[in-house]
Amino acid sequence: MNGENKCMNQTNPYLPEAARIVRTYPLTEDVKFFQVRLVDMEKAISFKYSPGQFAMISVLGAGEAPFSISSTPSRPGLLEFCIRKAGTVTNAIFKLKENDHIGIRGPYGNGFPIESMHGKDIIIVMGGLGAAPLRSVLLYCLDNRDIFGRVALLHGAKRPAEMILREEFFALKERNDLECYLTVDADDTGKWKENIGVVTTLFPLLKDINPSKTFAFVCGPPVMYKFVLKELIKLNIPKNQILMTLERRMKCGVGKCGHCAIDYIYTCIDGPVFTYWDVIHMRELI
Amino acid sequence: MKIVKLKKENLFSFLEAISEEAELWAPVQKYENKHSFQLIKDFSQIDLKYTRTILPPKKLFLPPTFNMFLATEQGYEEDFSHATKKILFGVHPCDIHGLLILDRFFQHVFDDPYYSKARQNTLILGLSCWPDENCMCKSTNTHIIEEGYDLFFSELENDYLVWIGSSQGDDCIRIKPGFFDEDITDEDIQIYIKWQNERDKAFQVDINFVAMPDLMELKYENPIWEKLGDACLACGSCSNVCPTCNCYNVLDKPLLNKDTSEIGRCWDACTLESYSEVAGGENFREKRAQRLKLWYTHKLQAYISKYGKPACVGCGRCASTCPVDINVQTVAKALEGKDMDTFWNRLSKEVTK
Amino acid sequence: MKKDKLKIGIYELTGCAGCALLILDCENELVDIFQAADIQSFLMAKSDNIDGELDIALVEGSVSTEKDIEELMDIRKRAEIVVAIGLCSMVGGIQGRFCDEKEWKENFKKVYGDIEMTHTKPIQSKPIDAYIKVDYYLPGCPIGKEQFLNFFTRMLRGNPPERYPQPVCVECKYNENDCLLKNGILCLGPLTSGGCGAICINHNLPCVGCWGPVEGGNWTSEYYLLKEKGFDDELIKNKMANFSGTKIAEVSEQLIK
Repeated sequence: MNGENKCMNQTNPYLPEAARIVRTYPLTEDVKFFQVRLVDMEKAISFKYSPGQFAMISVLGAGEAPFSISSTPSRPGLLEFCIRKAGTVTNAIFKLKENDHIGIRGPYGNGFPIESMHGKDIIIVMGGLGAAPLRSVLLYCLDNRDIFGRVALLHGAKRPAEMILREEFFALKERNDLECYLTVDADDTGKWKENIGVVTTLFPLLKDINPSKTFAFVCGPPVMYKFVLKELIKLNIPKNQILMTLERRMKCGVGKCGHCAIDYIYTCIDGPVFTYWDVIHMRELI
Repeated sequence: MKIVKLKKENLFSFLEAISEEAELWAPVQKYENKHSFQLIKDFSQIDLKYTRTILPPKKLFLPPTFNMFLATEQGYEEDFSHATKKILFGVHPCDIHGLLILDRFFQHVFDDPYYSKARQNTLILGLSCWPDENCMCKSTNTHIIEEGYDLFFSELENDYLVWIGSSQGDDCIRIKPGFFDEDITDEDIQIYIKWQNERDKAFQVDINFVAMPDLMELKYENPIWEKLGDACLACGSCSNVCPTCNCYNVLDKPLLNKDTSEIGRCWDACTLESYSEVAGGENFREKRAQRLKLWYTHKLQAYISKYGKPACVGCGRCASTCPVDINVQTVAKALEGKDMDTFWNRLSKEVTK
Repeated sequence: MKKDKLKIGIYELTGCAGCALLILDCENELVDIFQAADIQSFLMAKSDNIDGELDIALVEGSVSTEKDIEELMDIRKRAEIVVAIGLCSMVGGIQGRFCDEKEWKENFKKVYGDIEMTHTKPIQSKPIDAYIKVDYYLPGCPIGKEQFLNFFTRMLRGNPPERYPQPVCVECKYNENDCLLKNGILCLGPLTSGGCGAICINHNLPCVGCWGPVEGGNWTSEYYLLKEKGFDDELIKNKMANFSGTKIAEVSEQLIK
């Protein structure tokens, strides 16, 4: 389960690489999109990662924090992040503009074992900012569409304005090689044409699932898991084919500082991706 | 392994000879019966009869606070000023075991250059010891040491038996070849064996560490954790004094009037309230009992399940430090079901009275 | 891009003025401080003080007169960010330890008799957040030099100051001190905000709590521990109350439990 050292700086994993913000715009009231490029072009192109991995982003004077990579390795060169304003570091990141400087280290974590899923069916269930890591999986599947079986996406948000990257998801609805279902808990605009209700209300739309060849990806707010997992179990998807990504405080990203520990699992190197079966054994999560 | 003999009266001359180009650190009495590894300028300060230092040797490899690098928008300047060339003399077997555990940890998957560089630059000169009432190293099987040192000094009556554990250790011996006698007599061996037997009998604590992973699992919801949590002062001292605790925090310290920050690192402890706080103020382990469970999971369960030995090396520092008697000894005994005369047990009776 | 300098005011309510003095005592950095920011008002350091709009107001001292209230309200109106510096401002200080209104009145009478105050009316000492919203707190009696410079530098870059959520014991162990509490000495280290570098214990003196109560301190356990070590009930409570100001109310509730 342990990750291997694939990070950029092989001699000192704590040193960030200089990067610049290429593009940034707000996604919701408190979430912003950042497209970033490493200053060193060679490193920018050779930055290899898997969907589900994360990077440490630092702002001089404010500190460093971990963020899931939202872009896909199938489109190298640029890295994308969806960042919610929550603490000192994210506040400082929010103040940055295009062409401003940041530091990046990574990629870290195990990522999704997507290479081993060729020919399999994929269900992606995301809620709120859970779209940040799972967008990487989704785009990867779409860029390599022929090597996967069915691909289905269930995406929920509280209100239409809180659905991050909604234009991107609306556009995906046009594709006929993807089942894309969107929902909001409540529509306060009167203009929402998709489903209304929590994300589990989308499950009846999934027909004829072949559980043994299906992998499910889940990420969202803590309350969502309990209900989504129940639905997936109802569909008979094996517990070790249900993949989730966990979020913890991290100071190092490389399995040393201890802050991301859950029992004796280090989220940063043993995770952040775990199967439902792994998670059942983590006492601190129950 | 090569073993030689050194006359006791030659020890300090030998240390002086080998420490010409390196700092010599050794145990020094800091308070009555409390010791500390200190930079030695005067050999008479060295106390060869110490039991344990307040802080373990980890402080020399990753100091409580230090700077990792200077950061500017133009680039980064690494700072390895803590990793000076050192000779650390007088390390007891438990602490050498502690370093072996840290080695495995800091070199696992990613190599931590701040630890590794300091480790490479330090010679470990071990020294035999005698247990007190808090020593648990016989139970953790860390009272003897087979690796992890450059030289190891076992005290006989008038001599030391010196185990040569590495090529660098061998080089040290060669600096003063006249001091070392390769002829170890039957009498020496008899004295050594007798000493070993007597020391084995001197241990006052006996804990069955092999049973601990199961006990931790079976008693994870036991009310004993609430009792411990009620008494815990959440001071973090157990972690700071533990030779295998390795958690740390990272700080960005901007410099006044410059676009430069010092990126620093300081020891952190999972028993502190701030440890499990995340951005936005949520805390994953708000209760002291939850934090103690994490600490003891790491000491008594995690490592032993993975590597067959506990992450506790039995040094007894938690026992001689915690003011409310929460330590590996009392917690292990309580998990075994014993009613202990400890402050935390008395407090629980007092408060529920 | 050259930004406008931050406009900063440093104000003193009721207290010993030690925190303001400490800022002035940053001698090596004073020129940098005055260059980096536009210090609009700092009574102890300069005479041409302006009471205008401010980015940051640093307020020392507790509120113990009606005049203090007026001044504080005015500062809040003019300042974007208000920072309580020092224990008086944060918890009411030593003068704020009588949290009970009746007890305060009795004590006032004991000390001053039936004297009539003419220039302003004295009131029970309270922390400034009893009257206004406070954005950040810098604990300490007085605050520390390194702490202030770190705070100042972070504010210049638009970042919030560091918090001090760890007890004194953390830095005490960093310095490899022996635990005084374990040795039966009345030390308040586990209950007190760290950041001071454990300076008293480094000199073998027990912590008296001058950085104020730490978040999540276990008062009940320490109280019983000290009782068991043979300390008198009243002495323990007095020591605990000394630097806790009005916060002692929350704490004593814990003790009764």
